[in-house]
Amino acid sequence: MGRMAKDKFVGELTTHELTTPALSPIQPNRWLRPLLLFGLLILILAAIFGDIITTGGGRLYVAQRFQTFVTIFLGIFIEAVPFLLLGSIVSGLLAVFVDQSMLDRYLPRRAVPAAFSGAALGLLFPVCECGVVPVTRRLYEKGLPMSMGVAFLLAAPVINPIVMVSTYAAFGWSAVLWGRIGFSFAVAAIIGLIFHVAHPHKVLLPAVHQVHTDACNHHPPAPQQALWGRFQQALTTAGDDFLDMARYLIMGSLLAATMQTVIPQTVLLAIGQGAITSVLAMQALAFILSVCSTVDAFLALAFSGVFTTGSIITFLTFGPMVDIKSALMFLGVFQRRIVFYLIVLPLLLTLLIGVYWNLNIGV
Amino acid sequence: MREEMQPLMKTVLLVALGVFLYTRIANGTLYYYINERFALFTVIGVVGLLLLGMSYRWRTHQDSHDDHAHEHHEHEHHNHLGHSHGLTWTGVFILAMPILLGLSTTPQPLGAAALANRDVTLSMNESALPVGLRSREKAATDKNIMDWWHDFRSSPTAGEELIGQAVRVSGFVFRDERFGQEHFLVTRFVVSCCVADANVLGLLVKVPASMAETMTHIADDQWVEVQGIYINERVDGWHMPVVDATQILPIAVPEQPYLYP
Repeated sequence: MGRMAKDKFVGELTTHELTTPALSPIQPNRWLRPLLLFGLLILILAAIFGDIITTGGGRLYVAQRFQTFVTIFLGIFIEAVPFLLLGSIVSGLLAVFVDQSMLDRYLPRRAVPAAFSGAALGLLFPVCECGVVPVTRRLYEKGLPMSMGVAFLLAAPVINPIVMVSTYAAFGWSAVLWGRIGFSFAVAAIIGLIFHVAHPHKVLLPAVHQVHTDACNHHPPAPQQALWGRFQQALTTAGDDFLDMARYLIMGSLLAATMQTVIPQTVLLAIGQGAITSVLAMQALAFILSVCSTVDAFLALAFSGVFTTGSIITFLTFGPMVDIKSALMFLGVFQRRIVFYLIVLPLLLTLLIGVYWNLNIGV
Repeated sequence: MREEMQPLMKTVLLVALGVFLYTRIANGTLYYYINERFALFTVIGVVGLLLLGMSYRWRTHQDSHDDHAHEHHEHEHHNHLGHSHGLTWTGVFILAMPILLGLSTTPQPLGAAALANRDVTLSMNESALPVGLRSREKAATDKNIMDWWHDFRSSPTAGEELIGQAVRVSGFVFRDERFGQEHFLVTRFVVSCCVADANVLGLLVKVPASMAETMTHIADDQWVEVQGIYINERVDGWHMPVVDATQILPIAVPEQPYLYP
């Protein structure tokens, strides 16, 4: 930002200094460190047990296992980076160019319209599960209603044009396509409604929700500033967002890659036929694989011959909402307790849908 | 980490990640990680990372002394737009993980070691391919493992009409005790998005007695080109497509080690 604009704000300095300490409470150290240790522990266990469990123990077997782990980790990371980056840039632009009063004017505040429009918002912001997190966080800072943000966060990875097209490419006009779209919308809207009654300060991290209660935010962000300066500010904010979220993405990718290296897929695939067990198995698979929602339909197709239809729909509904990497990224927006709910609620609802489908509609 | 170091460190991290991704594109190992369809996104990612990295305004130690008030104000204004993004050393370590892990091992595509965790039951993997993309006609010797499985699975006569066609496929060697000494699998991973979704696809190769000696020198994971004749066989209780090999040549890892549906 330019110097002139900066000078204009100096007068406000004293009042804001008081709030500064309260505004930097993310403290990733507190939980990132134990998580890191946990990851390393799994890694070590993987190296040890990987050799015992499997039959083909060559001389460099552990090294090869590690190599596989690194390849899968980098695969998930490299695949996700551009999408997280685009999400961060959208977030940065929102931060600088969208004023809270604009949102106040246009957004529905009542529970049902807010939750439903949140679930459909993905049609406007075609972001996948990596990009949606920074955008949601930014919108919350701008005063987005609780229910709308949650519905958007959960639905957008499916309710967007790109994912719909890829699902159509894999399954055609089938029950799976409509089931995926319909159930994603419904589950996201329902969970959004549940969150309507929640208070932002009990749900969001302090850093996310305090911003829009901060008196400072009612000043529009220096509209007199040159366009280029604001654009640069948007990019810097995007960079901050990216680095912030990338930490969670990396931790999530590390965990997902570890799980993939340690847990044999055959264990999960062996239980493909039961009406209930197949759904649980596909949920576990969706959670562990952490595949991007734009292509998970092709992956699901690979299982469609073996697994029940209900479990396939559950895989395609639950997976984009919650998986290892997105659950970790939620930690950058929500309090830990809430992240737990955001995993469990979709889990239970999609389990219900999958089992109901298997028992009553067809296998 | 000290406040005035933050912007510089963020630039370093973003640029380093961008450069790291660029080296994977430049040395051709990008396809070890993702489907080629997504390569353009990675290029966008590199440009974006560099752009974001360069958008920071660094402050030297001198600067921060000179305009201490501005420093505070800058910080404050930042909070006004977002939240505090203080970078800790743990954070820097985590963000550097992709680079550290990437440089700690030589880039290598998934191989036989990754098979241990995956289902190698041949019969169920083929359906990983979207219908529309598969129906292309190819000369027999241009068909890859995926094409052969597709032809076999879609054949009304369980592959009878394919018998006698010339086969030339490449993949890495994987031996499975179920198939005995005279068979091995020439194997490829099928990747729709990134290696996290990799599926295994293998074609059984029948090794003639004259080549049994050669095969003892070829270890698991070695890439080979197999030439031979298509036959059907019942192996381990399964009716399967098999290549009756006439030639098995070790080759280097191809530029695109995976098959894309």
